[in-house]
Amino acid sequence: MKITVERLVSISAVVTLAAIVLMVVSIVFPKPLLLVMAMSLGQGIGTLSLALYLLAIALDLQGFRGEVEEDAAGTAPGSGPPAP
Amino acid sequence: MPEIDSVEQLLKIAALVCAAVAAAILIWYLVRKPQLNRPVKVLLLIGLGVMPAGVALTGNIAGYEYTLKRPFCGSCHVMGAYVRDASNPESKSLAAIHSRNRRFGEESCYVCHADYKMFGAITTKLNGLKHLYYYVTEYAYTGPDGEGGPTIHLYKPFKNGSCQQCHSTSAPRWSGVAEHQGMLDEIRSGEMSCIGCHSEVHPTALAHRAKAEKPAGEKEEHK
Repeated sequence: MKITVERLVSISAVVTLAAIVLMVVSIVFPKPLLLVMAMSLGQGIGTLSLALYLLAIALDLQGFRGEVEEDAAGTAPGSGPPAP
Repeated sequence: MPEIDSVEQLLKIAALVCAAVAAAILIWYLVRKPQLNRPVKVLLLIGLGVMPAGVALTGNIAGYEYTLKRPFCGSCHVMGAYVRDASNPESKSLAAIHSRNRRFGEESCYVCHADYKMFGAITTKLNGLKHLYYYVTEYAYTGPDGEGGPTIHLYKPFKNGSCQQCHSTSAPRWSGVAEHQGMLDEIRSGEMSCIGCHSEVHPTALAHRAKAEKPAGEKEEHK
């Protein structure tokens, strides 16, 4: 499976949604186990997904710089790989 | 529309609003798959970072506030007998009398059982995790009020300091009790426990019932 910036961002979005669901469930149904899950697993995977997004953006910026150099050589400008 | 009458409720609403905004942004991105230009990146940073951080922060505080309340303590079925007694307006137990006091109110379990040192809230919550561990491993499949499970007991003896938050041991009415006068130094030093005499704290609790299992050598419950 090819890893692209878009795919990383999509994975990050899905994981963040899962983290948000965990945290919201603990707010709506504040039971001990759910609170512990939200404060540990929920926030853990939320932080992980943010790190994944920042990694994706860093990779995208690196790609963007490469394209600036290509622009100087006369190729078409763009802000990153095209959307699928 | 229900009234917002506490900071906890306000924080919960803030957390839910943050969650809704984050979910809307992320679902929009996943469905539409727009090109990753600068506005989309900033929007995603809000949806992936700022809003979830808002949910976590406000949710943590709201969750913490809720963990101080009696219904939360009663959400583990083994605490049923304790919580029912504390909430009973007819009960004459110490737990019930104190729960009827506004200073304690809905937070009566926490006010009496929390540690009162610099990191008291942290050690209390760490003990809460221990409660959860024991609940899952030893009490999860016990009877309606924990029947059949091990005797419930405190991890450490109940400290007079909890009582002395309000009963300073210097008020005239308190000092007027002959028994208090006779052992003032022992009470203040903790050598003599308040609940040594005032033992009817949780009279309906499982540990006080005739059929309760009590492992050999284990101390009587201190509440």
